[in-house]
Formats: sequence, C-alpha cells, structure tokens
Amino acid sequence: MLIEIKNLKKDYLMGEIMVPALKGVDLKIGKNEYVAIMGPSGSGKSTLMNILGCLDTPTSGQYLFNKIDVSELNDNELSAMRNREIGFVFQSFNLLPRMSSLHNVELPLMYAGVHKLERKERSVKALERVGLADRMMHKPSELSGGQRQRVAVARALVTNPGILLADEPTGALDSKTGIEIMQLFDELHREGNTIILITHEKDIAEFAHRTIHLKDGMIFTDELNNKNSKSKKKQIP
Amino acid sequence: MEFEENIKVAIRGLIDHKFRSFLTMLGIIFGVASVIAMLSIGEGAKRQAIAKYQDLGVNNIIVRDKELSNEELEEVRAKFSLGLSINDANVIKEIVPGVVDVAPQAEKDSEIKFADKSSKSTIIGITPSFIEILNYEAEKGTFINEDHCTRNLKVCVLGAGVVKTLFQNQDPLGKMVKIDDQWLEVIGVMKTKALFTETVGELASRDLNNDVYVPLSTFNKRFEFENKLSSEIKQITVKVKGSEHLIETAGLIRGILNRHHYNNDDFSIVIPYELLKQEEKERRIYNILLGAIAAISLIVGGIGIMNIMLATVIERTREIGIRRAIGARKTDILSQFITEAVAISITGGLIGIFLGVSLSLGISLLTDVSTFIRVYSVIIAFGFSVIVGISFGYLPAKNAANLKPIESIRYE
Repeated sequence: MLIEIKNLKKDYLMGEIMVPALKGVDLKIGKNEYVAIMGPSGSGKSTLMNILGCLDTPTSGQYLFNKIDVSELNDNELSAMRNREIGFVFQSFNLLPRMSSLHNVELPLMYAGVHKLERKERSVKALERVGLADRMMHKPSELSGGQRQRVAVARALVTNPGILLADEPTGALDSKTGIEIMQLFDELHREGNTIILITHEKDIAEFAHRTIHLKDGMIFTDELNNKNSKSKKKQIP
Repeated sequence: MEFEENIKVAIRGLIDHKFRSFLTMLGIIFGVASVIAMLSIGEGAKRQAIAKYQDLGVNNIIVRDKELSNEELEEVRAKFSLGLSINDANVIKEIVPGVVDVAPQAEKDSEIKFADKSSKSTIIGITPSFIEILNYEAEKGTFINEDHCTRNLKVCVLGAGVVKTLFQNQDPLGKMVKIDDQWLEVIGVMKTKALFTETVGELASRDLNNDVYVPLSTFNKRFEFENKLSSEIKQITVKVKGSEHLIETAGLIRGILNRHHYNNDDFSIVIPYELLKQEEKERRIYNILLGAIAAISLIVGGIGIMNIMLATVIERTREIGIRRAIGARKTDILSQFITEAVAISITGGLIGIFLGVSLSLGISLLTDVSTFIRVYSVIIAFGFSVIVGISFGYLPAKNAANLKPIESIRYE
C-alpha cells in the first residue's frame, strides 16, 4: 500500500472550543490508483487533504506513506516529503506571478537541490508533457486559466512524486477547459501516476476509478466507480 | 535552495520596487555616508595636527621670546633682562641634562623683493644645529648648510608661498632677491607646509610658507632690527633625548631662564608633544560623539528596513505558502528573506559609501576643514550596513519562516 491511514483524528481549536474535523478515518490507497474524495464543505475533506499532503499533522492516529510514519516527522522532514512525494495542484493554480512558467516548474527541483542544468532539462520535459512547450518563458499573467493549470500540473509532476494531489483542480476553470485538464489527469494516470482528487462536483469525481464520500469527519461511502465512469468510456472508445 | 537563486530573487525584488527599495535604503545610505564623512573629518584633523607638530618636532621643547609692546619691552630691559640670547641657548645646552642640541633662531619681518614684485616675509636666521634638529629639507636646490653659516654667505632658502608671489612660474634657483638693502642668492625652495591656522599653545598662528631662511651669521652681520630693544634671538628649539622627561626638562629650562632674565616673564615655553597628546584626548571624545551620532542613524536605517520587511512578509504570505507547499524548508524561507534584507542594506551601503566619499572630498575642497578617508573606515561602514541588514532582517524573516503553510497558502 502506498498510503495507509488508521483511525486518523484531527481537532481544531476554534476560540476556546475544540472542534473535531476528522473523527477517525481509516483509508488505504494503492499505487497507481485514481481516487476522488468528495463531500460537502465542513465534511473534513480539506483537512484530510492537508494531512495527506503533509501540510498538516494529525492530532492522533497513524498516517503511513510508503511505510513512513508521517505523524512522526519534523518540519524539515515534512518539507522534504512534500518536495519529493507530493505533487500539489490547487484550485487557484498558486503560481508565483513574477516568474516565467519554466522558473515556476523549476522551483521544486531547486528546493530538492537539483543542479541547474538538470533542473532546466527536467522542467522543459514536464512542460512539454502538458503541452506548453511554446509558453515556457511566459509569466502566469500572460497565460489563460487552462494554461496556468497546466503549468501547475507540470510543476507537480517535475519531481516524479508518489502522488498527485489535486484540490478542486477545475474549480476556477470553465467546463470545457476543466474537461481538458481532467483528460490530462487521465493520461497521467494511464502513465502510472497515483492521483488523489478532492472535489465536490460529481461530474469531476466520475473521472476517478474510486470515490470516497466524507461526511461529518468520517468516511461515509468508499466505492469503485461503475463501468459508466467517464474515464472508462474514454479508455475504450 | 541555492544562494545564487536567493540573490537573484532579492535583486529582482529590489528592481521591481525601485522607489520603495530606495526609500528603505535611505536610512542606511545616510548612516553609512555620515560614518565615512565623520571618520574622515576626524582623521583629517588628526593628520593636520600631527603634521603641524611634526614641523615643531615631537621631541623638542620650544622657548620663544614673548611679543611685547614697546613700553613693556622698555620695562623689561630696565629690569635687566636682555630677552632671549645666544647665551641662553648655550647655557641650556650645557646645564640641562638630556638636552641633545639647541637651535637658536633670529627673526625679523621684512619685505623681500624680486623684479617688480615683493612679499611680506619673516626672515629667519638659523644655525647648522637647526638643520640637525628639525630635519628641514629643501624641495628644490639645497637647504642652508654649515658651510654657508661659517662663511656668512648671502644666500637664502624661500618658503613655497614666497616663491609663488615672487616668481610665479620662473625657476627661482640662482636668482638674486633683495631683503632690506641686501642682495641674496636663492639656493633652495621649501615644500608647502601645514599651516598654523590656529595658535599652538603660546605660539602665535602664522604661515610657515612665508618664511625665508638665511644663515644666522649672515643675519647678524647684514640685517638690523628696527627696534633697538629687540631680543637677540626670537626662538630656541631644544632637542631632548626621548619624550619621557619633556615636562621636567621644560621645568628646568624655565628655572634657569627665569634666573638669567631676572624673573621678567618675557619668554614662553611650549612642549609640542604634550599639546599633541592633549589635543588627541579632546579629539577622541569628539570622535566618539560623532561616531555615536552616525551609529544612531545606521540603527534608524535598520529599523526602516525591518519595518518594510515586516510589511513585505505579510504582502507575500501567499508566495511563502506556495514555496512551503512545494518543499521549501523554514531555513530556505529564512535565508531568502535575510538575503533580501542584506541586499537592501548592502546596496544602501554602497550608495552610502559613494555619498560619504563624495561628501568628505567636497568638504575638503569647499571648506578649510581637511578630511582623510582611511580604507578601514569604509570597511567599518560597509560591515556595519551588512550587520544591520542581517540583524534587522532576522525578525521579519523569522516571521516569514514560521508562517503555517496551510494558512498562508489560502491567504488572500
């Protein structure tokens, strides 16, 4: 198993009251799975994503990533985990505005200490992979929403992470561009990437092969998508 | 994270916000400039003082005839004092222990003429011991030597100021100049000397560059004092072995001369070395004060940097969150922001050095305050600006590094 979560709990201090966001989540995700995590706001899906992405640590319970107990890691080790194992794709792209696409994609490799020349080579490849070979020197403000999200995907891919963690990746895009991005995820999945998708849109979740519903901080349903799922249809035209 | 990348980011930040960066730097610019300018003024004053006292000789005691009015002179002479004399010089040399040599000199104010030009000068009659004691050397030609003295030659050596007035661009060597009713040959020219713009102890201020040196024997034989009551000798320069007992030796000399002059207070004694020490002491307090003012402006400059950096961190919370999400460690963020603070302070420091150097050059060119920039003062000022950048950049950078990635990435 790539990810193993056992009885994961997370409480937040709101003023003087402890508010439980996750009340005991058990979850296993294997290599090359394509999982959608769904749920209404307040269901704990953002909290779960933060913990899966090593941005936050649980209050109790265990989170094993590749057999490493993430809850035991210190801040530097968490940074290294995010750098090497997690590829984030955000709703609002989160690119650095004053840098070119290429520079944005190079950034994670820089923090990984990859040498300049190799950094550039790998970043160029990642941008070519998402179809932006001709936009490398453009700044985010000179790109369309879909292109920006592609740069973000390239940035997530460039370190060859264990999982791609996409938080509402189509939330800021029109539906046509959104579908294009989802098709890109499909291809990446077929190339062997493990993808975790956080969304509240059913249409988008249907691209995944497995859907987990969260409700009130607990897993409500966890099921494989049936044959009608959009990605299956695309796989066999 | 590479250092090179940090610097690139920092420099781009400076360029993207030129005006803001400039305003931020202003405190450092003025701080560094004032440190350099003030240290250079202090150093200039020190060098001027040392040059001044070097002309008098650091191991010397100077005995000088007091400037007295005619009535006072008459009164003193009536009380049996003859004023300073060659005899006084000889007695000092013979009796006072530790005295190596004495150099009496006679003086008289006269007009010196060449062609249609003339200059008001002090004619100074000197003996060979004068050369030994004061190490005077001519810049061009030769200084008065023993041979000139023993043979009473009609030769003279001119101060740089006299040459300028009388000869302009001509070569004065070998020319004949007229002093009173005597013709003398110019055999040498002195180099420009530090001016006595202020009195040194009891020595009146004067311009050494208007002096004309002639052998004392020639002086006595060829020139006459306008006032018959004038003392034979104007000044005796006493060279003492070592500088440890200058004060005691000066006391002995005073005692002996008081006896010879029948307690007519008609001479004064100056110890240049003691004056130099005293002046240095006063200047040190002054320098500390100036330095403190400059240091305060540097600190104010540092606070300016801190203020802007704190605002910058808030403004860039989102960026910090993104960097943290893709793998930046706390130390990466810390060093990025410290580098930015140091980049601001170093740039400010460099501009400040430029301004400070221009300022001190300007001061010495446009006023009569002399300045001297020592390399160490530039290094101190620059080093200070780096330290200010690091220390005042640390708190904002620490704030940036301690932002929680989840919160900062959602910061609007």
